[in-house]
Amino acid sequence: MEATSQANNNPSAAASSAAAAAATPTTPSNTILLSTPVWPTIDGPLGLNEDESVAHARRFYKFGYALLPWLWALNCFYFWPVLRHSRSFPRIRPYVVGSAIGFTVFTALLCSWALTFSIGGEALFGSTWDKLVMYNVADRLGLTGWI
Amino acid sequence: MAQNQQPRSIIDSLGEEIIRIITPVSICMVMVVILVSILSSDSSSASSISSIANIAYSETTSDSFWDKFKGALLNSLAFVAVVTIATFGLVLLFYLGCSRFLKYYMGFSSFVVLGFMGGEISLFLIRDLSVPIDCVTFLIVLYNFAVVGVLAVFMSKMAIFVTQGYLVVIGILVAYWFTLLPEWTTWALLIAMALYDLAAVLLPVGPLRLLVELAISRDEDIPALVYEARPVTNVDSDSRNGVVRRRVWRQRTNAGDGADESLDTRTTVNPNLNPNSHPDSNLTDETVNSAGSDGNSTRLIIAEEGRVLGRDNDLSAPLIDRRISVPLHGQENATTSPENLLLEGIVLGSTGAIKLGLGDFIFYSVLVGRAAMYDFMTVYACYLAIIAGLGVTLMLLAFYQKALPALPVSIALGVLFYFLTRLLLEVFVVQCSLNLVMF
Repeated sequence: MEATSQANNNPSAAASSAAAAAATPTTPSNTILLSTPVWPTIDGPLGLNEDESVAHARRFYKFGYALLPWLWALNCFYFWPVLRHSRSFPRIRPYVVGSAIGFTVFTALLCSWALTFSIGGEALFGSTWDKLVMYNVADRLGLTGWI
Repeated sequence: MAQNQQPRSIIDSLGEEIIRIITPVSICMVMVVILVSILSSDSSSASSISSIANIAYSETTSDSFWDKFKGALLNSLAFVAVVTIATFGLVLLFYLGCSRFLKYYMGFSSFVVLGFMGGEISLFLIRDLSVPIDCVTFLIVLYNFAVVGVLAVFMSKMAIFVTQGYLVVIGILVAYWFTLLPEWTTWALLIAMALYDLAAVLLPVGPLRLLVELAISRDEDIPALVYEARPVTNVDSDSRNGVVRRRVWRQRTNAGDGADESLDTRTTVNPNLNPNSHPDSNLTDETVNSAGSDGNSTRLIIAEEGRVLGRDNDLSAPLIDRRISVPLHGQENATTSPENLLLEGIVLGSTGAIKLGLGDFIFYSVLVGRAAMYDFMTVYACYLAIIAGLGVTLMLLAFYQKALPALPVSIALGVLFYFLTRLLLEVFVVQCSLNLVMF
């Protein structure tokens, strides 16, 4: 296990890697002795194990580039133990941290644009505000008539 | 450090499981009531939706009592007929092994519901509340929401909370769409679907029962939308677990509670598929919504059987295989939940996790939403009736240990309470209020 390479200074990491390989009868909740969690996902034993988690995190990270910051946010949510314990799961961590950064940046941009639009209003945009606001667009295109 | 290590009794674990299934049902109902209250304060009763549930008769407010009654009956009979045909179609497709097709259709239908219906309902909200959002932001948010929702329903490896949340959202959207139907048709539809559910699950020739038996005989999952409550893990059993941790929830049946084991041995779910999913795509798609939403209003009660191989072995339950994502069968992934087939009915997972079909969520919420269109008093009465019915169904499930239809008891109680409240209780309360006896 690659995790053992980091176990030199941290005996608990070795314990966790050993636990990941062949489960010991300790629960993730009794992590007083272990400083790193056994399960990388927020679902614990119901979630994925470490190998699948790497593929999963990588796939979500790459898909998030298709204008899907929500997917990045869910990636971070799902792998919350990886984010919290900064020395665990070195294979998964880059993707999760990348997802967190991507989500933050994208959300900051989107929120700034949305707030500028809603607070600035017509004073800032002039006549194009009426053309861009959603309820007018919906009325113009007849989008609410489907139901 | 004092930690309470008392062994959990059957009441603790059973109570927690019941709470874990009642909470999402309640959330779905509350959200539909809120949506109905916000959006129907306008005139929208004038807008009638044309859909599969309306083909026989379009109700207008000026018709006589008998016209409305006959029209509602015709509508509901037509709807039930379409549902039956589609369920048999589903059984046929499942029998022929087209599980991948069903899975993709389910994903497509989820996308239509989340994207189009979710978009329209949020447009209604934006228009009524005059939210100053621009089209670019709205489109990005909607696109994110719909795509991630399809992934959550499609893949078994998403966070449990996210999958459950999206299933509840799909239930809310479809239930709101159903509340847009005219009043008499809605009530007739609810009663007809409850009767159909009863027949389809319990009769030996019922399509749901056939589907269940097919799934059991092939040891596959039925592709459908099912809400599954998170299983309750028994802390004590962990210490006996010498194998991989993932199986901790299988070990729950090996815990000391004999009652738990008897609950967990067999679970059956009957899929009750609403055939609208298939014919709608062929019918005149008057609205995209009718195609998607009807497809999603398929109700399935899934059947799944967990076999107890022995105390030291693990139960082979398709759910667990899904969680571990080990492709035991070639169609492992294809048979997971993503389908535009909603499930209706209630099941005990082999670990004791309760599964409730999405159709149940939808029709409970339709009943409460329709009650909300009258007054909040009926909402409270119907909510209590439905929860009581759900409790009765859970008790019956524990008793009989086979798939049961979750609609009949709750819908019967709900309809009864609605009409009693409207006819009797309201008069009483109003008179009490007028005479300052009770407010």
